Amino acid sequence: MARIRILFESGEPEQIVEFNPADAPFQHDGQPGSILDVLLGHRIHLEHACGGNCACTTCHVIVKQGHDKLSEASEQEEDLLDRAPGLTPTSRLGCQAVVEDAGAEIVILVPRYTINQVSESRGE
Amino acid sequence: MFISISIPLADETRVRPYTIASSPEDGDLFEIVFNRVPGGAGVAWLFERKAGDEINFTGPFGAFTLERAPERELVFIAEGTAIAPIRPMLRRVFEQKPGHPVRLLYAADRVEHLLFRGEIEGHAIAHPQFQFETIIADGGQEALYARIMAEVERRWVVTDNDRMRHFYVCGIGAGVLRIRDLLRGAGYERRAVRYEQW
Repeated sequence: MARIRILFESGEPEQIVEFNPADAPFQHDGQPGSILDVLLGHRIHLEHACGGNCACTTCHVIVKQGHDKLSEASEQEEDLLDRAPGLTPTSRLGCQAVVEDAGAEIVILVPRYTINQVSESRGE
Repeated sequence: MFISISIPLADETRVRPYTIASSPEDGDLFEIVFNRVPGGAGVAWLFERKAGDEINFTGPFGAFTLERAPERELVFIAEGTAIAPIRPMLRRVFEQKPGHPVRLLYAADRVEHLLFRGEIEGHAIAHPQFQFETIIADGGQEALYARIMAEVERRWVVTDNDRMRHFYVCGIGAGVLRIRDLLRGAGYERRAVRYEQW
């Protein structure tokens, strides 16, 4: 089983998801098996204003551990990350970073702020 | 910039992004542009809304914006409804009285699908440094992008060695990435070629 531990900069309590990457997709937004797909499929909220289509930066996450267990970022993802506030060398877009390793141990941090965001609802 | 609209369908609520076609200076009212596509349940719901109906949305979001015009020749490339994010950029650029040429290459399958045409032609009349050119190609998406690619290559790749231009490209599908690759491959800096792919 792969594992993602999710830390929230907002101070929300951390969460842990265990899953089998071969079971992806877990729902319909983002790349199948991506961090976004896994989180939404396990009822953990992650912003994805564009619908998980690699067209914004609202699903920006910072990968604290297991960066090399994720699919490689495309040029388009890199271009978008360029514009993400609080960019780090291990930043990824949740909708594009696919967990490829069935035994991956991944730790991500969900930053508090995303670009120009005035989110008024947090529907599932 | 875009907003994310919650669209209630029979079985679930879907969140779909729609690009803002107006400028921040326009105040609280803003405009979005959308296409009626066959079988598009979300857009069919939007077309059924009437004046005064309330809709739920979040935003604005997005990174495809132009705050200050660079001190360089600026080239905008758009297709069909993808003129939406370019329209406020053009207004912003002309407010700043640019000292360099500004060009727009705008493609559509039919003349009627060139949106905001009167307004854009107005910019061309008011600003002599602005050059507005259109492409009409009705053989489908592939043919449209083949024409855009050919025009981009002829004008900004093979004609000269100037690689200081800045590009803003918006369109639908993989053609946008091909235009990006053509320009970056020709020597334009990565950050001078900005794009949004729908």
